[in-house]
Amino acid sequence: MEAKIRLDAIYGPSEDVVSREIEGELLIVPLAAGVGDIEDELFTLNKTGRIIWELLGGQKNLKNVVAELFARFEAPVGEIEEDVIGLVEELLKRGMLVEISNT
Amino acid sequence: MKSQIPEPGIFLARAGERPLPGPDFAALARAVLDKGASFRFKATGFSMFPFIRNGDVVTVSPLAGNPPRLGDVVAFVTSGQQKLMVHRVIRIMGDSFLIKGDNRYSADGLSPKASILGRVTRVERGKKAVFSGIGPERALIVLLSRRGVVLTLLLPVWRIVRPVMRRWIA
Repeated sequence: MEAKIRLDAIYGPSEDVVSREIEGELLIVPLAAGVGDIEDELFTLNKTGRIIWELLGGQKNLKNVVAELFARFEAPVGEIEEDVIGLVEELLKRGMLVEISNT
Repeated sequence: MKSQIPEPGIFLARAGERPLPGPDFAALARAVLDKGASFRFKATGFSMFPFIRNGDVVTVSPLAGNPPRLGDVVAFVTSGQQKLMVHRVIRIMGDSFLIKGDNRYSADGLSPKASILGRVTRVERGKKAVFSGIGPERALIVLLSRRGVVLTLLLPVWRIVRPVMRRWIA
């Protein structure tokens, strides 16, 4: 059962993930079942994904992450919120992100 | 002043097959193994033929406090180019290890323990685990390798010996 994403919750990178910037790109290796599998499970974030990932540092809740993105970029807040929630869902599903607390 | 969203659309994607620069690849391997996880990747090159072939998928597991043994196939970082390589331990000298590719005439030189990131625990070819010379047979492989025997030249002999060794091991 998938957990509901809450805007008042704080999310941060899981301990079971390794991320490295290589040649200007952020590569992420989830450590599923104790294996970092770069043959089949190596991921990359595009520029926007990377900005969201960096904001999801375990300090701000999602509402604040959305507010910060809205302050920086020309896009409707509803669209930004949808994008952030979508990425958080994907990262949670792959074990790259965890909920740290809710405020 | 607000700017355009840099790259709208799909934010997270599989990276696909891509060659990573040597030192970066080694750093990624070290980061994974330092977390106590195994590191699975596609091997390139022919220096460990016939046991590890170009395109085989190799799993390297952390040493977890157990130093490399004679005959172990280990992943280590080369001192010069800081590249990750996978070769066999053919001699142990205190805290240093003489490492050599099974398909090479000469050894890589002495590597300090700190440069060895982990040992190979599985080799896959066509999605199946294959016999890779990391079991009890490694003692014989070390013996031959020390004498400069390039194992590829023994392939016809190996094809006869291997089924016998498998029955012995089983």
